[in-house]
Amino acid sequence: MKAFRTMLKTELKLSLRGMDMFIFAICLPVVMMVILGILYGDAPAYAGANHTFLQQSFPAISTIAICAGGVMGLPLVVSDYRHRKILKRLRVTPAGPVLILMVQAVIYALYAAVSLILVYLTAAVFFGVSFTGSVPLFLLYYVLVMLSMFSIGMMVGGIAPNSKMAGLIASLLYFPMLIFSGATLPYEAMPAALQHIADALPLTQGIKLLKAACLDLPTGDVILPILIMAALTVVCAGISIRFFRWE
Amino acid sequence: MEKTIDVKNLCKSYAGIPALTELSFTVSRGEVFGLLGANGAGKSTALECVLGTKSADSGSARILGMNPAADRKMIFQRVGVQFQESSFQDKITVRELCEETETLYRSPAGYSSLLARLGLDGKAKSPVSELSGGQKQRLFIVLALIPGPEVVFLDELTTGLDARARRDVWKYLLRLKKEGLTIVLTSHFMDEVEALCDRLCILRKGRTVFSGTVSETIAASPHDSLEDAYLWFTGEEETEYESV
Repeated sequence: MKAFRTMLKTELKLSLRGMDMFIFAICLPVVMMVILGILYGDAPAYAGANHTFLQQSFPAISTIAICAGGVMGLPLVVSDYRHRKILKRLRVTPAGPVLILMVQAVIYALYAAVSLILVYLTAAVFFGVSFTGSVPLFLLYYVLVMLSMFSIGMMVGGIAPNSKMAGLIASLLYFPMLIFSGATLPYEAMPAALQHIADALPLTQGIKLLKAACLDLPTGDVILPILIMAALTVVCAGISIRFFRWE
Repeated sequence: MEKTIDVKNLCKSYAGIPALTELSFTVSRGEVFGLLGANGAGKSTALECVLGTKSADSGSARILGMNPAADRKMIFQRVGVQFQESSFQDKITVRELCEETETLYRSPAGYSSLLARLGLDGKAKSPVSELSGGQKQRLFIVLALIPGPEVVFLDELTTGLDARARRDVWKYLLRLKKEGLTIVLTSHFMDEVEALCDRLCILRKGRTVFSGTVSETIAASPHDSLEDAYLWFTGEEETEYESV
């Protein structure tokens, strides 16, 4: 535990010095919220809806940080450490892959938590968005989305052959999910054909769960997305630890 | 009595080209053992196969009676390693790197005194990337000693150090040796080998061409200095020699 805390403290400092996660996980979601707030104000989600467009957008925007940290930050930092031979040095110490990966995962979880709080405050304070759904259920789903996204990232970072490949795979996962899962562009504004494609992205399913919890919508078909994401987490996390490469 | 390091018949080849052939040696507690050879002779491959970071094709290596690949976490509580290349996180400071290393061990040696001992006091707050080559080299020797190890592996330990710093490093290592530290090192400097090593092993194209004490090495050659003997054994004393 002492090793975990010391490494977390140092690695968090290093991550903050890097600034990129501060921009992509903290600033970007807040800016998105402000833009949508200015554009839509307190307009209803659709004619006759009893929740506003912003209320519906909040859960989606709150996942931008998860996406940035999980599928961009995590794989890049792990493959960078391998490329720089930091993992090789750690290999001849008592540190294990679980410790190394968990420290990084917790750092990105902290970014996501800070981002969630800031996005919510922005929405509530400046645009009067109220949270009508179930907070515990929302947080539960939020953690589930985080676990599944982070496990994808750890798998990519853990097994990518080199940092160029990791960067490429991360971009291939990150940008489509950021744009088409509804995290930035509202899912509801997409044409039906695009929505069908978006449904294949795990983050889309996660955002649907979050919306259901947030807006207190009927949660008819939550079982399937939950199962898919839980399975994804177990498989990807398992692969990333089993096939972890030091060099 | 069990040997601190026991290497038997290690073989390793890359894409069919042998890099290491039938390497065997033992090192007892408190001994300093030197692996010598030209660039590409297989020193680093030998170290990595012994440490388990590369898997040998055949043969075995045991450190403190354990298998380095299987008992990794247990062995590296008690063994320090300095690799040739220094690897560190972007923007990390000396203190942060030392703290992050120290926290991994159950009974570490305090890093502040190690930094002072190797002439790096006052550098704790500096980013590692801003250290000079020699300072970085000394920092990575510090990292290898932070575990308070029983055995330490040092790959080209004083490359890039000035004369004063080399002497300081030697002096400190000899003190630790007296306290029972076992050392395996590679070096290109014969004065260093003479100053530190009890026994040595000369590699040429992955094969052991001689193994023994410094005086045995000199005696087994037609020369009377270690450097000449070394060059004689590695076949590098004359340029024509290689034109086979």
